[in-house]
Parts: sequence; structure tokens; C-alpha cells
Amino acid sequence: MTTGTQEKTKSGKPLSIRDLTKVYETRSGERVEAMARLSFDVAAGEFLVVVGPSGCGKSTLLQILAGILEPTGGSIHVSGESITGPSLDRSMIFQSYALFPWLSVLENVEFGLKRKSISRDEQRSIALHYLQLVGLSDFAHKSIDELSGGMKQRVAIARAFAVNPSILLMDEPFGALDALTRRFLQRELLRIWQEQQRTVVFITHSVSEAIYLADRILVMSARPGRIRAEWRLDSPRPRDVTSVEHRQLETEIYALLDEEVTRTFA
Amino acid sequence: MKALPFLAAGIVIVLVWQLLVSITKPDKAILPPPLDVARTFIHLASDGELAVHTAYSLARVFAAWLLSAAIAIPLGLLMGSSRRLDHIISPFIELFRPISPLAWIPMAILWFGIGESGKIFVVFIGTFFPILLSTVVGAKGVDPVLLHAGRIFGCTTRTALFRRVVVPAALPSIVVGLRVAFGTGWAAIIAAELVAAHSGLGYLIANGMDILRADQVLVGMITIGLLGFLFDTLFRAMQARFGRSAA
Repeated sequence: MTTGTQEKTKSGKPLSIRDLTKVYETRSGERVEAMARLSFDVAAGEFLVVVGPSGCGKSTLLQILAGILEPTGGSIHVSGESITGPSLDRSMIFQSYALFPWLSVLENVEFGLKRKSISRDEQRSIALHYLQLVGLSDFAHKSIDELSGGMKQRVAIARAFAVNPSILLMDEPFGALDALTRRFLQRELLRIWQEQQRTVVFITHSVSEAIYLADRILVMSARPGRIRAEWRLDSPRPRDVTSVEHRQLETEIYALLDEEVTRTFA
Repeated sequence: MKALPFLAAGIVIVLVWQLLVSITKPDKAILPPPLDVARTFIHLASDGELAVHTAYSLARVFAAWLLSAAIAIPLGLLMGSSRRLDHIISPFIELFRPISPLAWIPMAILWFGIGESGKIFVVFIGTFFPILLSTVVGAKGVDPVLLHAGRIFGCTTRTALFRRVVVPAALPSIVVGLRVAFGTGWAAIIAAELVAAHSGLGYLIANGMDILRADQVLVGMITIGLLGFLFDTLFRAMQARFGRSAA
């Protein structure tokens, strides 16, 4: 495989979120506060997992971090620099894959590489390299419709890593997959992340997924979203989520989430 | 597409037709038997008359259809991606759309006479709206998450997002519109030629009626049906190619 033409692989950058506020106005003019003065930091190369009840503004948070949604207030800094819009330095993996069905597997991975600074051949070799990394070299010229859900998400992972971002945003990426595929892709993602050491902000509903993946877990409150609690995980990977220690943590986190969900319906 | 069922249906139609003729024994000027029509068909086909009329009708439809596409596709893409433009233009579209292209034929004759432009105008009316509407639907229906992905993966300008995401995402729907429009255009040209033409398949039919040649009328009808069917099949094949993500 040609790795000689690779751009120099970046390492992760730190991310700093200060007093982030998002207020939506509904059609009837009602103001809905999705998040209120949300602040947290993510260290360079850290794998941060955010869990929270539905509607706590997790996806809103990720869209703001990606630069495709304007916050109402607050600031986001990447390595001390304020973000102003989307950038290939912050790429994203979506729950619904968000692959372009009119493009082949390879063309999807190349999509983000279409810049003048990279030659056509180089784009191809980078894309092929990342397809190999997710084990889909043989599917490069297939159409997206021919792939299973798990394979589609692997293409999306390749696309997200191929643009050489320092920060990866993941919006419940494995939420639509069956349990076995999900476990497999969690392992794969960890393997690739350990190789590439990007900063990751990963959103999920699944507490055991959070425990399996995270360096640190943030629990968000019901709307308006705030940080409710935080855990740092030091146990070595790959983790056994069924161990006593992890079970106990899971119970603790669920207790907190249950409270928040109850507040949503109260 | 499997050809066999269509062949079978064709044979059944001819058999029923022959049966009807054998039982009711109508005047040949009212309903000639299939064999007579086949003879006329061969006659008109071999002396080149049928080909000339067919070419006229097809050329008119293609010209108008392409003209429609050239205007309706860009306009539809713009309407589908700009809510404000959609709000301004939609009322005009919705007020004109219910007027059948056939209702425009008298005005077309008044304005353009019975030359080519009048007929192209009528077919233009008939093909414009199906292409425009399906383009608008296609552009509006682009999955927002694909737009997000487009912006995140390097489409920094609206133009880039439009070219790399909106247009290809809307393409399957546009192809559907082109196919439907060809059908409505084919119907409209025959009508226009029935009223005001000296050539074309519509004229062949109208002329057959004037000189009481039902066989000639039927030859025209059969040609119209076969060609319409042929083009629809062709477009469906195109749709299968481009329509991977069609709704």
C-alpha cells in the first residue's frame, strides 16, 4: 500500500468550549433553550464520550462544534483559535452514515480530499489507504447501495479519517447497527484511533458503549443541556464492560440518567 | 424489461380487434380489419411518408422538451434551494399549471400561426411543468444530513454545495420529470398537429379522417403508441441507471 504520498498525519488538538448557549425559536415564537452556558475542555488526543437523555442538545452541540450551526452565545476554540465555520480539520461521522449514494465507495472517501493542493493520484492513494484501514479495499468500486449498514459506517469512518482532521465528531455512529456489528466497529474504531490519536467527541445513548470507548465520560442534563457529571476512565483497553468495576460505573451513570429522563417527562 | 408480456398483449389486442370486425362486420371506413391496416402501414412505411411524419413529430417534441429542460431544470434547482425564490415564483406556476397545453393551441395559432414555433410552444407548455415540479421536489428533498456532510467535507461555498451535493442528489427526481414530460409532450404534439399542421403524425391522423381513411388514422395511432412506449422504456432504463437513490 502506498503510504509514502500521505500527508503528514496530524495529532489531535485540544478543544475548549466556553459558555455555549443555543436558543431555538419555534414557529409559534416560543423560545427553547437547547443548551445553557455549557463549558468543558477536551485534551489533545482525548476520547471524550458524551451521554445524555434524548433532547438534551447533544446533536446540537456536535453540529455547533462542526461549525454548521451557529451558537446563540459562547465560544469554541481549537488549539486556542476560535472557530468560524466548518473545516476539514473537524470531520464528522453520522448515525445515518450520510454517504453520497451517487458516488462509489472510493469516491465517497475521496469527497473531502478534492482540494487543489492534492493531486488526483494522491487523493486516490490516500482514499485507498483509509479504505484498507477499515478493511474495505475490495469494495472500492462498489456502489453504496450494495453495502450493509456496518460496511457503510466503515466507509464513513474512512471518509472522516481521510481528510486528516485533528478532531473527530461522532454523532451516535453505531446507533443504527445491530449489537454484533456495533461491538465489532467499536473495536475497529479504537484500533484506528489508537493508531492515529485524534481528539474525539463521541455522542451516544449507550452507557456500556461509553465505558468501552472513553477516556472520559460526560453526562449531560435534560434540556437545557449542562454538564451533570464527569468520570475519568483509566482501565486499560480493550475493556471488559461486564467486569464488576464497570458494571458498578454503569449503574451509577444510569441512575443519574434516569433522574434526568424523569425530569424531562415531569 | 421482459418483452414477452408486451408481445402477448399486442397479439391479444389484434385478435380481439379481428374478432370484433368478424362479428360486427363494420364498414371499412369505420373499422378496417387488422390486415388492411397492416397493408396500409407497410405501404406508408415503404414510401417513406410515415418516416417523414414521424420525424416531424419527434423533432418538434425533442426541440420543445430540450428547451423546457434547459429552463425548468436550473429554475427548479434554484426554487428548490431558495425558499424566498420559491415563494415568489410558485404562485405563477400554480396559476398557469392547471391550463392544459391543449387549451393553449388557439392562442399559439393566433400568436405564431401554423408554423413550427406555435407547435413547439404548445409542447413547451406541456413539458415545462412536469420537469420543473420534479426538479423542485428533488432539490427540496435532499436529505439535510447530506448537506451537512457536504459542508463538513469541504463544500465551503453555496455554489460548491449546490454542484457537488444538491444537483446529484436531485438527479434521480429530475430524470423522472424528464420521462413524464416526454409523455405529456408526445400527447401535446399530436393534439397540436391535429389542429394546425401539414406534417407530423397528428396531421396524418387528421388527414385520414378528412379523406375517410380509417386505416390511415389507425396507422398513425399505432405509430404514436409504439413510439411513446419505446421512449418510455428507454427513459425507464435511464432512470434505472441514474435513479439509484430515487424516492
